[in-house]
Amino acid sequence: MKKISWSILTARFPALFPLILLIIIIIINAGLQPNLFSQEILNQNMRVFLPLILLAVGQTFVMLGGGIDISVGGIVSIINTILATQVGLDGSPEKMWLFVFVSIIAGLLAGAVNGFFVAFLRLQPIITTYATGFLFGGLALFILPNPGGGIPREISEFYRNTTPLGIPLAFYVIAIILIIWWYLSSSKYGRNLFAVGGNAEAAYQTAVPVTWVLFSTYVISGLLAAFAGIAITMLSGSGNAEIGPPMTLTAITAVVIGGVALSGGVGGVAGPVMGAITLGLINNIVSFASINTWWETLVKATIIVIALATPGLINLFRRRRI
Amino acid sequence: MDISLSANNIVKHYGGVVALSDGNLDVNSGEVVALIGANGSGKSTMSKVINGVVVLDRGQLLLDGSPVLFSSPQAAKDLGIATVFQELSLIPQMTVADNIWLTREPTNKLLLVNQKEVKQKTEELLALFEGTYKSDLRPDLPVAALPSDEKQIIEILKAICFDPRLIILDEATASLDSRQVQRLFQLIKRWKEQGKAIVFVSHRMEEIFQIADRYSVLRNGKTVGAGDIDDVDEKQLIKLMIKKESVFEFIHSYIKEEEKEFEAPICLDVNELRTELLEDVSFKVREGELLGIGGLQGQGQRELLRALFGDIPYSGEVIFNGNCIHFSHPRQAMKNGFALVPGERAREGLLYIRSILENLLLPSWRRYGLPLKINQSKRDAKKVTDSLNLVMAGVQEPVSSLSGGNAQKVVIGKWLMREPKVLLLDDPTKGVDVGTKGEFYTLLNKLCDEGKTILFYSSDDDELIGLCDRVLVFHDGKIRTELKGDVLTKENLVAASLGVTNGNNGEGAR
Repeated sequence: MKKISWSILTARFPALFPLILLIIIIIINAGLQPNLFSQEILNQNMRVFLPLILLAVGQTFVMLGGGIDISVGGIVSIINTILATQVGLDGSPEKMWLFVFVSIIAGLLAGAVNGFFVAFLRLQPIITTYATGFLFGGLALFILPNPGGGIPREISEFYRNTTPLGIPLAFYVIAIILIIWWYLSSSKYGRNLFAVGGNAEAAYQTAVPVTWVLFSTYVISGLLAAFAGIAITMLSGSGNAEIGPPMTLTAITAVVIGGVALSGGVGGVAGPVMGAITLGLINNIVSFASINTWWETLVKATIIVIALATPGLINLFRRRRI
Repeated sequence: MDISLSANNIVKHYGGVVALSDGNLDVNSGEVVALIGANGSGKSTMSKVINGVVVLDRGQLLLDGSPVLFSSPQAAKDLGIATVFQELSLIPQMTVADNIWLTREPTNKLLLVNQKEVKQKTEELLALFEGTYKSDLRPDLPVAALPSDEKQIIEILKAICFDPRLIILDEATASLDSRQVQRLFQLIKRWKEQGKAIVFVSHRMEEIFQIADRYSVLRNGKTVGAGDIDDVDEKQLIKLMIKKESVFEFIHSYIKEEEKEFEAPICLDVNELRTELLEDVSFKVREGELLGIGGLQGQGQRELLRALFGDIPYSGEVIFNGNCIHFSHPRQAMKNGFALVPGERAREGLLYIRSILENLLLPSWRRYGLPLKINQSKRDAKKVTDSLNLVMAGVQEPVSSLSGGNAQKVVIGKWLMREPKVLLLDDPTKGVDVGTKGEFYTLLNKLCDEGKTILFYSSDDDELIGLCDRVLVFHDGKIRTELKGDVLTKENLVAASLGVTNGNNGEGAR
């Protein structure tokens, strides 16, 4: 009886495991850093996590549809370099908003390129987006070969210190994302997305517009990568073509920890959001536990591997018990 | 509501393979047309042309008198054409309700799916089959958790949920038990009265004669005959389908079997076997015996075979040729000469994209490896394919190039390469055409004569009665009764399957 309740729980609430994990990580982090929940520290953390959260949300759509998008880091870099070179440290806010708009268009276009290759030409998503990722990364290097440039200081300040009602800006963004997700997942689009990820052939036979659904996931991923690029530029205030690529795998990790099946069709957005926050907090823990810098990567990776393996281990033990 | 559809001279190629060379079909409101043909004759392609899943190469499709061209399933669906797919078009991770209403979800003003309406309408649909499924089937269960007959029911409900004008039932009865089939037939009659047109694709002759008004026979992609069902009999139809008669007669070797009863030692003695689904299953099989296992779908027959093969854990005692065995992995079962032939060949039995040779050698590589004896292996494979009368272009061709019946022969062949002592057959003739079935029955008898012991589960009652001397009937994880000799009749088998006890089959129980 118990095993049924666990499997039904995880199937119905894919965010259950990431929630448990997040709580554990918060407890550990709060132990090392008692002022974790102070308004200032909370805002400091959340503004750093937000770009990764946005990237993970975009990735979630692609992975729910059964694909994967490893070009998102390249898109982030493009956006970052566009903003840093075109707006400049002494640019006007109007110019900034204009290029935010340009960035969004660029993100959508980049996503559309991926979507065209994967959905219409039916190429392998992992290879395709690996290749386009290089393309985008190369383009970013072309725009800004050496780190530099930047955006007006007041824009950075606005991003870093806006806390309406004392709550960090990132929480409002997350709330908006969750509302949009709730709407999409309760509409026909959501049903179609889950169907395509679950069994594309069956979905096609049932008259689901499979090609368009797949296409849309990459466009959404491109859009959110653009938002992530905007956020990280506002956070750092400067340009660097190498900023995006390392974020790609972290975002995918966040999505997987967040309970989205790599095979597609299972999961939601809340899990990956928590997964991204968890990964950010793991960074905190590692730095607060005064671990030797040389060990940092190893410790971080170990925690991530354990987090990824846990659901599998739970299933393994459940099978053994029968 | 009125509809008339006629497909004329349809041609469809898949790469170099001609699936349809001259397909014709007419269907009108208020009638059931049976689309008949051996496996690989183009039935499925024909239905896929009509419902837009594949685009025809040449030919004409007339809907209500005017030509149409379906470029996608969407186009056909919008014109009221629904399909119950043979391979099922369900999304395993999604719930029953979500699956049924996929792309047809009722929405509210904000374009959100109206959950309450979905649930309520799903319950109304489920009520159509009320009482024929075992577990309590709720709209919010994920489809993956359902047994195959319930999945099939969901597939049917999914097709009819948007009140289509034309329904194509492609092997919709293959995994249904007799009670569910009868319920479906009642529904088909009702749809007929409502003016719907129905295309019924099936292998089961008996069902065709029960439900169809007209028939259309395909052979090798050509329509070779059509007419009123009242004007033909079973033999004539089979003749049209395969051009040769008398393949469907069961070869029954009563006398031989009785001799064996006295001589043959007990091969397998199962005592109080239990798994999650099975309860106290006990029986004995003699060497060279063909023991039938029957009952409704999903009553634990599959579990029994899988437990014996070491695929799922069980408790209880199994004595094989005098030794107590307890396999915890199929590897051990294979070493002891067990073989499991699954009916779900696409999923469990074959590597579809790999060659026939590779599939045949899969369980026996150890014998031919290190140093690689590829020629030896090819010779042995040749022997098996010859003895099975496998119709193929060559052993290097992929299994996907074979028809269903021939693919199933490969599944059996790969185990015959190992010279098994015990064969566990899990509904092996599912979706296999009549001609191949006939050959298959001959093969089973031959194997028994060679002293192999066979446990044969089938969802086809006629097959069990025709082929076996003894049938264990399962119900709810238990052996309900054992039928043999004179009490092994269709009536008794059906009664026992449904859990009805009538006096005269009690004596069969051991």
